[in-house]
Amino acid sequence: MPRGLWTTTVGSFPKPPHLERARNQFARGEITAEALESLEREATADLIKKQEEIGLDILVDGELYRGDMTTFFAERMSGFEISNPVRSYGNRYYRKPIAVGPIRRNGPWTVDWWKFAQSRTKKPVKGMLTGPYTMMDWSFNEHYPTREAMAMDLADAIREEAIALAEAGAQYIQVDEPAVSVRPEELKLAIRALGRAVEGVKAKTITHICYGDFDVIYPAMLDLPVDMIDLEMANSRYDLLDRFRQHPFTKEIGYGVLDVHSHRIETRDEVKRGILRGLELLKPEQMYVDPDCGLKTRTVEEAMEKLAVMVAAVREVREERGITA
Amino acid sequence: MTIQTTLSGSFPKLPLTPGQSNVRVTRNRLDQGKATGRDLSEAIREATRRIIALQESAGIDIPVGGQVAWDDSQTFVARGIRGFEIAGLIRYLDTNTYYRQPEITGPISWTGPITAEDYRSAQEMAHRPVKAVLPGPYSLYRFSKDRHYREAAPALRALGEALALESGALEEAGAGWIHFEEPWLGRAAAADAPSIRAALEPLFHGRRARTTLHVPFRSPAAVFDTIRGLGWTALGLDLVESPEAWDLLPEVPKGRTVALGLIDARNTRLEDPARVAQAVDRARSIRPDLDWQLCPTASLEYLPVDRAAMKVARLAEAARLASRNGG
Repeated sequence: MPRGLWTTTVGSFPKPPHLERARNQFARGEITAEALESLEREATADLIKKQEEIGLDILVDGELYRGDMTTFFAERMSGFEISNPVRSYGNRYYRKPIAVGPIRRNGPWTVDWWKFAQSRTKKPVKGMLTGPYTMMDWSFNEHYPTREAMAMDLADAIREEAIALAEAGAQYIQVDEPAVSVRPEELKLAIRALGRAVEGVKAKTITHICYGDFDVIYPAMLDLPVDMIDLEMANSRYDLLDRFRQHPFTKEIGYGVLDVHSHRIETRDEVKRGILRGLELLKPEQMYVDPDCGLKTRTVEEAMEKLAVMVAAVREVREERGITA
Repeated sequence: MTIQTTLSGSFPKLPLTPGQSNVRVTRNRLDQGKATGRDLSEAIREATRRIIALQESAGIDIPVGGQVAWDDSQTFVARGIRGFEIAGLIRYLDTNTYYRQPEITGPISWTGPITAEDYRSAQEMAHRPVKAVLPGPYSLYRFSKDRHYREAAPALRALGEALALESGALEEAGAGWIHFEEPWLGRAAAADAPSIRAALEPLFHGRRARTTLHVPFRSPAAVFDTIRGLGWTALGLDLVESPEAWDLLPEVPKGRTVALGLIDARNTRLEDPARVAQAVDRARSIRPDLDWQLCPTASLEYLPVDRAAMKVARLAEAARLASRNGG
């Protein structure tokens, strides 16, 4: 009996309203860091429980203690300052890192959080990092002479954290590189930097890419030196499958079936259809089914409902096709 | 010779000083049911007023309204053109900003003014003539998904005509200068030239207003033979991210203006006005016969508002130094 179609998520979950309020209170100096962290731990433990209840196979800590995916790490490295808010779309803003000196890792960034999340479940919890190319591309640079020099310093720092996560016991380590799809002329640099970041890391390695022009980087992106590439499929109406038809997808795939930018809850049938379309070209043991991207822009209720639909759709497909987890 | 200064596209909407009217906060309050549409309109007007005042007090010659009501660089206009629907979020080239992807689902046609009212409002707030800004038809097409025409040439012709009609509406609203933002021209191949010409020609044909064709991020060298034959007044080039665009200066037709993008809109590092002025001198030495503007490489909205404001001040200072150098 074939195995496969494991379920997981891309990383971030929505923060419950009380935690959002607490983060704002902390920013205004109204509560202490310890009080905020206590609430973050409580919410993380609750999220682990919810993921187990939904029936996901590979869990995440939900990044409830993080803000932006680059700024969180930049704040913990030497060599970075953080800018005032910059708009990303509509009414969404983020604070962008500014490289002002040599970038270094001075200590663990996420290991304690990973240990805490893993201690709450017997299922594997992924270690979640942002990749060196994306950290470089999404930061302002007032220090390094070249983009490559900055990316490679970041890769060294991220590698130290990835090794620390693996030594702590993480079986899966995801190093997100959403920026690699936009500068095809720099794909080789992205591959080199990611290669450095995961070199010698004893875990299954994953990278997540999203919202770019895959026409220009596929199939070359299959050279990214990780075991699995996680992709948004639903947002582009599964158009990526046409490319897989022309050139087979040769790695394991994180197969996105939920549009994370829509409030609408997908139906079980549409998710199932998306998975079945994938199975026309991919083997079940290649496929990890998940949302297109992080769920942090949804409400807690939307995120949970979407995931419940996803898990139900996977179960039906597994049953119909005789696939086990 | 005076070097005119201008900006390209949008400007950060957040206030420089805490406590000022804040579009971001008002939008959030609107989402929570704590503010009205009228509150948001007033916040947008206030931010526009502030953006224009900031440019005028720095001494910018041709200010822009800052596109405060726009969610992104494409959809505000695409929503107003028949034949478009607006789909999911997608990354705007390599900028780590996003736009909702327009999808062409039917024949494209212009049914009425889209930006003219906002233009009028911005002009009323200004003491100097404000430049209107539109997406260029070639880039709007390349940013979109074509589910109707399925070949570029007829879609681009229709888009060019639609944006030409919108430009006419802006002229009616009083716009004396219209700026077309065309980042995809820097990524076009020579084979795209005929469809680019078909899309862009209507923008400039019979136009009363002066026009800028601005190409941020990359040099449009591959299609420059086509671009130089069009009737724009000014050509905007990004000389920071694509220094190879300097090579285009000898080929610019006589009597035209080049808008020199020498203030980096995508990095917080602040330019030295004296060095920028030297670069302007270099351009003038290459082509003493052209007219010149100085501008950021792209929209300043890629920066936080504090740095954007500092860059505007440095832009104006560099132009003053360059004007003095040029006698």
